[in-house]
Amino acid sequence: MKLTKQFNWTHLKWLFWLSPMLVITGAIAGMVAGSWVGIPSGLIVAGLVIFGLWLAFLIYTQPNFWSRRSTQSGTNAILATLAVLAILGMVNFLAVRFNHRIDLTENQIFTLSPQSQEITQNLQQPVKVTIFSATPNPIDQQLLDNYRRLNSNFSYQYLDPQKEPGLAREYQVQTIGDVFVESGTNRRSIQTLTPEEKLSERRLTNGIAQITNSQPQKVYFLQGHGERSLEGGQGGFAQASQRLTEEGFQGAPLNLAENPEVPADTTVLVIASPQRALLESEVSALRNYLKRKGGLMLLIDPQTDPKLNPLLEEWGLQMSDRIVIDPAGEASGLGPGVTIINQYGDHPITRGFGNGISFYPLARPVQQRQIEGIQAASLLITSDRTTAQQVAENGELKFDAATDPKGPFAIGYALSRAVQPEPAPSPSPSPSPSPSPEASPAPSPTAEASPSPSPSPSPEATENQGESRLVVIGNSGFATDGIFGQQLNSDVFLNSMGWLSQRDDQVLAIRPKEVNNRRIVMSPQQQLSAAGLSLALLPAIAFTTAGFVWWKRR
Amino acid sequence: MGIVLSNIIAIYRRELQSYFASPFAYIIAGVFWLLSGFFFVSILFSPEGLIAQVAVRDQVGITEPPIDVAYQFLTVFLGVLGSLALFILPMLSMGLYSEERKRGTIELLATSPVTNWAVALGKLLGVVTFFTTLVLPLMIYQAIALSAANPSAPPTVMLLGHFALILMGAGILSLGMFISSLTDSTIVAAILTFGLILLLWVVDLIAGAIGGPVGAALGHLSLVKNYTNLTQGIVDTSSLIVFLTYIVLGLFLTAQSIEAFRFQRN
Repeated sequence: MKLTKQFNWTHLKWLFWLSPMLVITGAIAGMVAGSWVGIPSGLIVAGLVIFGLWLAFLIYTQPNFWSRRSTQSGTNAILATLAVLAILGMVNFLAVRFNHRIDLTENQIFTLSPQSQEITQNLQQPVKVTIFSATPNPIDQQLLDNYRRLNSNFSYQYLDPQKEPGLAREYQVQTIGDVFVESGTNRRSIQTLTPEEKLSERRLTNGIAQITNSQPQKVYFLQGHGERSLEGGQGGFAQASQRLTEEGFQGAPLNLAENPEVPADTTVLVIASPQRALLESEVSALRNYLKRKGGLMLLIDPQTDPKLNPLLEEWGLQMSDRIVIDPAGEASGLGPGVTIINQYGDHPITRGFGNGISFYPLARPVQQRQIEGIQAASLLITSDRTTAQQVAENGELKFDAATDPKGPFAIGYALSRAVQPEPAPSPSPSPSPSPSPEASPAPSPTAEASPSPSPSPSPEATENQGESRLVVIGNSGFATDGIFGQQLNSDVFLNSMGWLSQRDDQVLAIRPKEVNNRRIVMSPQQQLSAAGLSLALLPAIAFTTAGFVWWKRR
Repeated sequence: MGIVLSNIIAIYRRELQSYFASPFAYIIAGVFWLLSGFFFVSILFSPEGLIAQVAVRDQVGITEPPIDVAYQFLTVFLGVLGSLALFILPMLSMGLYSEERKRGTIELLATSPVTNWAVALGKLLGVVTFFTTLVLPLMIYQAIALSAANPSAPPTVMLLGHFALILMGAGILSLGMFISSLTDSTIVAAILTFGLILLLWVVDLIAGAIGGPVGAALGHLSLVKNYTNLTQGIVDTSSLIVFLTYIVLGLFLTAQSIEAFRFQRN
């Protein structure tokens, strides 16, 4: 009897080590799996049960185990250690929770600008930033952490588009490094990160400000002259209107015949293929509208004359009365008269289209001559195989190989003109055509002019009152229901709308935080002495003393 | 209270004397200064160094973004010093208790009327003082370099960075002291300490792989993250608290370990 008991003890003693092993395995499994249901909790419970059995066994075999002094002090030590660990853990938890940071860098480069701080602190609903990149940049992360520290409603995530193709498709990710801001159902792409281009505080803050601003921008569609309607059906703009709503615009019909004035809340006015002439009063309402900040989209089909030519002439535009005939349209089976575009001008609207296709059933060429103070860029350029043909009285095409002009033609233009300040005391409008940053090929984010929200009367604030912008396309069919969703047609329409609305330019002027430009200027003599001190003198002192002490000890 | 304080000071003085009387400590100092000097010269003056690189950039005519050479030099150099400290600190802490164990003097310490934590604190203060004397001379030539900055650079970031270095050093030394109290082999103590601080140095990589709240908690323990926070010029209270936690934890565990040693002998 006594022998068997001895035998049991020696072996069962080692079984005790299963307990911590099981507990640790369970904890690691739970951490890795992220859920504690099932196997992880089972392992931990099994470990604890074995520990309990071991204690019971100890009490059974060694009744005086608990009264021993070593057990008492050992238990005390374990309890005290656990208590200290818990206290230190709690202190650190609180320290992270109520974290305070003082930025001692010279220009406070790690601190958000006051505008960003204010906007972030006032966030009422959750805002999430999603960056489609597999490798987070630490500097970007630091910036995002600065936002998150200010408000728990702000969060961010990095997603690898290769690992999450479904999400990448849902977000319509174009390239790796796309950054999206979303709040509720609104989502907006704000930037594309490259190794050279870091996350910009200006863009991020503006993106947050815009996405949380629930006030939709008004887009009016002129009606009353046989224009495309916003209702569904053949030739309607229902799909376009639907997509505008998703982009944070609000489409509404507008009739200028009753009150010949464009409403003050108009962001963009669309005139989509009027079949009949506009009234004189309506044209002058448009002219007045184009004197202030705003956007006008003119989609004018061939064989119509809305009597807008005097207005267009002020912008240097001329609508040809010919029809573009594209052999590619016939060949691709879309039908004769369909113009296929795969060349685009260099403009914010068409940037990123590459050689993608958009197509336009029955388009007319648009010509433009330079006018001082107006920035113009051709958007849609037909191929050089196209011709422009006249239409005869009977509606047939008059083909004349000798006189018909050959492509390429532009069938779309984007124009902008700085809003002139109201004729104020100073009667000299600056004669130099100020180059609009939007029309230049590569607008650098710092150079982009923006209305400053600060009340201080800076010189830019008086000069910069936005722009009146105009997009003219010699076709309206490309945005009608059924065709709108195909190829790049919707992008042409929506990007134009985005540019016309100037929503991306309603930015808060946030100066990027930069360090002082500073150099270390040392003469060769100074360099030599600093190098000598660091490399030779200090180590020599130490080694000599070491030798001296060693010799003395000997 | 006064007795405890005078006990601590007595231990502290004994520790310091042992450092400044041993050739070993001077050799460590010489190696540390030599390596630091080498990195100082190569970061600043070598053909691939900051001054030469920025000079090339200026000649080409790149002006954006502006560069603060002084600030950049400080962050890079302090980062290098932090990594160097990884190798130096285990050598400083390894003998703190294991030497006493080997010589048998630990029995005296454990049974003396001086409380265990007072002994530990005195020893820690001694070794931190020694580490500080290693670091301070480096500031002389950094100050020479910074005084050549144009426009002149404020010394805030340099001072904060070196404070961070010493604070982090104190945390590591405190943990190293605990490890040294576990074994009577100085080599084992040094290797274990080196392994531990290497783990704490890269723990944010592990934390990033785990993710979630556990990952965040682990990442908070990271030495390199909290250290760079401070050397960049941000006084982050949570980073300060992490280092203080390491110091307190090391002291407490050392005291516990000596206490356990006493009962083992009994």
